[in-house]
Amino acid sequence: MRQHDEFAGKEPDDDILERAVNELRRPLRVNAALFDARVMDELLRTPTGLRERFESLVRPRTFRISPLVAFAAGLLFTVSIAGSVLYVLSSTPPARERTVARTVPGAPMVEFGFAAPHASSVALVGDFNNWDPKATPLRAASTGGVWSVEVPVPPGRHLYAFVVDGKVWRPDPAAPKATGEDFGEPNSALTVADPRGGR
Amino acid sequence: MTRRSVALFAAAAISLAPAVLRAQDARLDARLDARTRDAVVSLIDSARAEGIPSEPLVQKALEGASKHADGSRILTAVRALSRELGDARAALGPTSTEAEVIAGASALHVGIAPEALAHMRASRAHGSLTVALAVLTDLVARGVPGDTATTVISALASAGAQDAELLRFQQGVERDIAQGATPSAAVGVRAQSAFPSAAPRRTP
Repeated sequence: MRQHDEFAGKEPDDDILERAVNELRRPLRVNAALFDARVMDELLRTPTGLRERFESLVRPRTFRISPLVAFAAGLLFTVSIAGSVLYVLSSTPPARERTVARTVPGAPMVEFGFAAPHASSVALVGDFNNWDPKATPLRAASTGGVWSVEVPVPPGRHLYAFVVDGKVWRPDPAAPKATGEDFGEPNSALTVADPRGGR
Repeated sequence: MTRRSVALFAAAAISLAPAVLRAQDARLDARLDARTRDAVVSLIDSARAEGIPSEPLVQKALEGASKHADGSRILTAVRALSRELGDARAALGPTSTEAEVIAGASALHVGIAPEALAHMRASRAHGSLTVALAVLTDLVARGVPGDTATTVISALASAGAQDAELLRFQQGVERDIAQGATPSAAVGVRAQSAFPSAAPRRTP
């Protein structure tokens, strides 16, 4: 109320508005020569060549970023790197494997082969050696990462597997897989014919 | 066999039996806890009394021990195998060999009917069925329908196929399957080419 009384009869708002409108209506006077010179100067300072572009890329700049955004970006970066590493590790086969189980003619001997280039030990386990991982170690070839052993196996149908590095059970990829995994680890099946000839 | 040789054989068997039992017990002692071992030994004794091969039961228990299975799981597996061995022996007859009974138990395990085993025995009374039953089992495990595999292998066995021929037949089927053939088609084509009379007849 006091404020209203102080400006009573002067109508200051109308006056200010009128002056602002007049200022806006006033034509803009531009010094054409000076304007052109400033534009050209700015254009010349704009990088156009390869060197200038490179310099603009390597020129240090200062960014302003909040701590929260910086933390989130760092976390996202770390998670993506860790995810990529895990994906590569999980999709990489542990070893290229090739195996040959063959009956040696003339005797119930079977040669087992297993390719595991990165293994430090491979053992044969089956119902012909009491499933003992220490009973029948395979020998590594000098090159190629193929492990092999030749053992006597009585005629009949047998189950077996390989134990890699003392802990990983692997079936024979080249042999029929036995059904009925009673203990969760798959076995392979091997049939040895009687060398005396069976009918 | 004279009475004297029978007596000698019996004496040898009696003297060797405890050694065999001790050897089995020693293997189980080293790998099973006392409670599981006692239960497994009890199952093995029962099986042996019924004429069922005991070595596969020992091996099943040792397999479970090596794979760090718990005692109850080992007992379940040994009990199931003992049952299958008994059924196989009953189907194949009392004159069947231990290898035949083991292979027959594998066949029963994949779903082959005991009647099929008995039929194979009848069609090949004097020859070994071990390899035939093993091939039958592996074909079914590979995806060949049980009745198809039974028909083909029974026909091959009764036609006089030798073990080496049966194994080559199986390898050929597996090769065909690996190259994209369906298991049924692979068996049919291989049987037709190897033994025309043994191939399963196609219904029109």
